[in-house]
Amino acid sequence: MDQTEIFEKVVKILTPYVKNQKALEGVSLATHILDDLKVNSARLVDVVLEFEDAFDIEIDDDDVDKVETVGNAVELIEAKIG
Amino acid sequence: MALRPIAPLPASARRKLVLQREVSRLLSPLAIPLIGITLRWVLGYRIENLRDIRREYRRICLEQDGPLMICANHLTMIDSFVIAWALGSPWWYFRHFRTLPWNVPERSIFAATRYLRAAIYVLKCLPVERGGNRAEVTEVLTQLADAVSNHEVALIFPEAGRSRSGRVDVAAAGTGVGRVYKAVPNCRVICVYLRGEGQETYSGVPRRGERFRGSVSVVEPKTDHTGIRGSRDIAQQILARLAEMERSYFDARQ
Repeated sequence: MDQTEIFEKVVKILTPYVKNQKALEGVSLATHILDDLKVNSARLVDVVLEFEDAFDIEIDDDDVDKVETVGNAVELIEAKIG
Repeated sequence: MALRPIAPLPASARRKLVLQREVSRLLSPLAIPLIGITLRWVLGYRIENLRDIRREYRRICLEQDGPLMICANHLTMIDSFVIAWALGSPWWYFRHFRTLPWNVPERSIFAATRYLRAAIYVLKCLPVERGGNRAEVTEVLTQLADAVSNHEVALIFPEAGRSRSGRVDVAAAGTGVGRVYKAVPNCRVICVYLRGEGQETYSGVPRRGERFRGSVSVVEPKTDHTGIRGSRDIAQQILARLAEMERSYFDARQ
């Protein structure tokens, strides 16, 4: 799976949690999940669990701390998929 | 269940934590009664079964000298203070200072001014910005885990925020509780359910003259999951117990 495919899948998973739907129009790897997309921080764990299911990976607690932007999520998933 | 050793707290962070604890201990003869007086006589709060709650907390604390964490339902911004007041008398806390729980208030509210910062410092608070910098949140969780592993008590709310529905919401489980629990082997969790008669939903502060009832119960969650799924699973088990306690509360009120 290449980075573009992962990116598209990540954005699809994020979409239902995004409060600022306008920010989705220009979403990029640099887009901040909490600040720009206004995903509720309390729901971030649901998002990460969906990443686990969708990509069949396991994400550590510490890894979640590194996920601030869409790009961070894509990099993390890429690394986990190997 | 996969347990992880505690991430070592940097020496400087541990020194700060120990300093805060000792300052708090030194000022506790003033600070703890002051909180009690404010809650009881200024705000007029009353806990109907105060003696039962305190007796049970004492029993759990003295039963075995192991790590303890308190998890409670979350309806107002001052829950931590009301819960600490409910669980122990000033005299109990002077004699067993480790059982005065560390807690994690919202920085934007409780650390807004230097007076508030000083007050919560003395009350064993480690302010954190909810949804803020993840590294900072992790640092606070590490401090809590360190304190709990050294047999001090910490109070953490397993829901990621106050209960927006006014009821314990198992689906709203955060992961902080699970992360601390996983980091401290043999940790027991004391579930505390406390609610006032007038608390229909979440609010800033309970109304003046509020009459609370509460209950206390111990749970030792177990999970086969690892990573963030394991942390979530632990928090959900704790919340499931709190939801049972909530049902008992409402059954008793009918």
